Amino acid sequence: MKTELSKIRISMLPWPLPPGPPRFSVCHFCDTLHKAAPVPEGIAARCQCCGAVLYQNRPASLARASAFSLAALLLMVVVHLFPFLTLDAASLRRHLTLAGAAMALIEEGSPVLGCAVALFTIVTPLVLGGGLLYVCAPLLFGRLAPGAFRVAKWMHQSEPWNMVEVFLLGVLVSLLKLAKVADVHFDTGFWAFFGVMLCMAAAVAGIDRDELWDRMEVAKS
Amino acid sequence: MTPALSRAAACGLAGCQICGRVSPVALRRCPRCSSRLHLRKPASIERTVALMIAAAVLYIPSHLLPIMTVVELGDVSENTIIAGMITFWKEGAYPIAIVIFSASILIPFLKIVTLSWLCAAATGRVHPSPTVLGRMYWFTELLGRWSMIDIFVVGIVVSLMQLGNYMTITPGPGALAFAGVVVLTMLAAMSFDPRLLWDRLNELSAAPTPNPRNPTA
Repeated sequence: MKTELSKIRISMLPWPLPPGPPRFSVCHFCDTLHKAAPVPEGIAARCQCCGAVLYQNRPASLARASAFSLAALLLMVVVHLFPFLTLDAASLRRHLTLAGAAMALIEEGSPVLGCAVALFTIVTPLVLGGGLLYVCAPLLFGRLAPGAFRVAKWMHQSEPWNMVEVFLLGVLVSLLKLAKVADVHFDTGFWAFFGVMLCMAAAVAGIDRDELWDRMEVAKS
Repeated sequence: MTPALSRAAACGLAGCQICGRVSPVALRRCPRCSSRLHLRKPASIERTVALMIAAAVLYIPSHLLPIMTVVELGDVSENTIIAGMITFWKEGAYPIAIVIFSASILIPFLKIVTLSWLCAAATGRVHPSPTVLGRMYWFTELLGRWSMIDIFVVGIVVSLMQLGNYMTITPGPGALAFAGVVVLTMLAAMSFDPRLLWDRLNELSAAPTPNPRNPTA
């Protein structure tokens, strides 16, 4: 128990420098070359030419990313167990679930749309949250999970396709659209998904991409 | 006052698109994450233009064809995106009407216009002004996903409104076309390389004034 605690403290140490010669950092926006200098916690390094953020040193980055992605994953279980909206019309009661929205599109003759909705609201959040936890939690103990590099790659590729917050706005618009034909109200799933959105944003913003990869490289060597 | 900042491409260095590590482009693959290294995104302008034309073509049927078909007590009515927006406006639900208008009509249209402008600037047809164009690029990347809202609304409404003989709603062909527009414009924005704008700007600033420190050139 004692040894575990000391390991956690080690992982709270600042952003480690990977072995080898000093690194460069390049602005993804204007391609200006910089010497990658360490920055204090909570400070962002900006491009000298265009002012875009090069990298940021987030405080307690690994702990935050792991904790928030774990919370997001747990809330995702709640999201799939409880309905988002409940509709009462003409003595009929219908529930909306996340998988239900995708399945309805598949069953009602639009399988491509159904798969797209499932991909953007179920698969990408899972890859993003699960991947972040899978990579960051072992790094807290200075270890590298098997296949972590590949998982981190998937994570970065799936990031722009994560549409949790867009779906939430969609639920609100649908609620107003249906309110005139039926009695619709929010259910547990909606609030859980709202939590997923917040936790996911906190987890992704919790650790800088460069820091994550530097830490993975240090853990590997 | 400020010394000329060197650019990575001029030194033969490329930042990895996946992990961010800067390595010589001659290595071809990133030594850290083994993704392919490129100085610039390959065929950036061509890909962006191709995807954008496809999106612009699909934009027309996405608004003309119905996104939902409503069968209410035997009556069949077809809803387009614009008709849905107008209904909200007439009912006085102005914020929702504005959200739908921006997400479904304005953003895809602005994205196509913005990307055309960016491609024109990167190939030298329009003057590239990095502060304005940078904002524009950031805006297209940030707002692109929000257009998907109408597709999610169709999914949610279809899923809830399966009320047997009383009312059923099925997705229409317009929804598929519209999802195509959103995905294609997102892919187009991703394949555009903003560094091309700066390349073009450097060419422009280098061309008229010969470098005094290097008279032989």
